Amino acid sequence: MTHVEQARRRAARGAGAPVGVLGFLGELFLTLGVVVALFVVWQLWWTGIGPVRDAKEQVAQFYAHVAPAAPEVVASAELRTDDVPEVAQVAHGQTLGVLVVPAWAGKTENRMPIVEGVTPDVLDRAFAGHYPQTATPGGLGNFSVAGHRRSYGNSFLHVPDLVAGQPVVVETAETWYVYRVTGHELVTPDRTDVVAPVPGSPGALPERRLLTMTTCHSVRYGAFGNDHRWVVRAELEGWLPRSAGTPDVVAEMEAA
Amino acid sequence: MWTWIFRHLPGPAVVRALLVVLVMLAATLALFTWVFPWVAAQWPGLVGRPDVAAAALGGPAA
Repeated sequence: MTHVEQARRRAARGAGAPVGVLGFLGELFLTLGVVVALFVVWQLWWTGIGPVRDAKEQVAQFYAHVAPAAPEVVASAELRTDDVPEVAQVAHGQTLGVLVVPAWAGKTENRMPIVEGVTPDVLDRAFAGHYPQTATPGGLGNFSVAGHRRSYGNSFLHVPDLVAGQPVVVETAETWYVYRVTGHELVTPDRTDVVAPVPGSPGALPERRLLTMTTCHSVRYGAFGNDHRWVVRAELEGWLPRSAGTPDVVAEMEAA
Repeated sequence: MWTWIFRHLPGPAVVRALLVVLVMLAATLALFTWVFPWVAAQWPGLVGRPDVAAAALGGPAA
C-alpha cells in the first residue's frame, strides 16, 4: 500500500485521531444520558422493592402481636363516639398501628404500618410516619402522618382518590378509629401549621379529633414533583373496640 | 469507551458482545446499589420528602 493510498483512506475515514476522541466523547455522553435515565428508574421503581417488603413484614408483625378482630360484625358493629380511648405516644421507630385506606384497595398497599417519626429511616421504608409532636390515633387535636407519593413504595400515590366522605381507618392494638375525609389543600413544604392541633392556628386549643395526611405534590408535575404538599383532612367519625367486630367500611373493603 | 472495552476483551465477537452486556449490567447494579443511594443522600432535593416540617427546619430532609 502506498503512502498516497493510506492518506486517501485516512481522509475518507475522517481525520484519524480526532475521530477516536470524538467517538469516545460521544459514547461517554450517551452513557451519561443512560445513567440519568437509570437514576429515574432507580427512584421510581427500585427504591420501592425493599421498602414494600419491609412494610408488609411490619404489618404482619403487628397482627401477630394483637388479638385478631372479631370477624363477625356483631349487630352491624355500630361505631361509638363517646369516651374515645387514648393511645399512648411511642418512641421513634415504634409501630402505633396500621393505616387502612379502603379507597386504595387493590391499587397500592392499603394497609401500611404507622411508625413514629417523619425522618428518612421511617418514611423510606414505605411506612406512614407519625409526626412526633402531634396527637395519637383518636386523640383530641390533629393525628398527622406523612408518606411518600412516588418513590420508596408509592405509599400515598393515589392520594387524589381521597375525596370528601371517603373513610380512612386507623387500627391499633385495641381499637379501630374510623375517620372521614373532609377535604384537602395544597400547601408549600414550610407550612408546618397544617399539622398543628388546630390546623392553621398553631397554639389554639383543639376541640376536634382530626387526622391529617401529607405527601409530595407539585402544581406543575403532580405526583412527580416536590414543590408542594398534598394535605388530606379528615375527622373522627367514631371508634370500635377490636373485640366488638370490624367496622363496616373495612368489612366491605375485605368483601369486595 | 464501549468501543475501547469491546476491542480489549478476549474471544470472538459474539463472546465479546455478551461480555460487554455483562459489564453494562454489572455497572447498572453498582449504580443502583451504591452510587444512586449516595447521590440521593448528598442532594436531598433529588428525592422528594413528603413531610411539611423538614423544609422549614432547613434540615437534610428538604
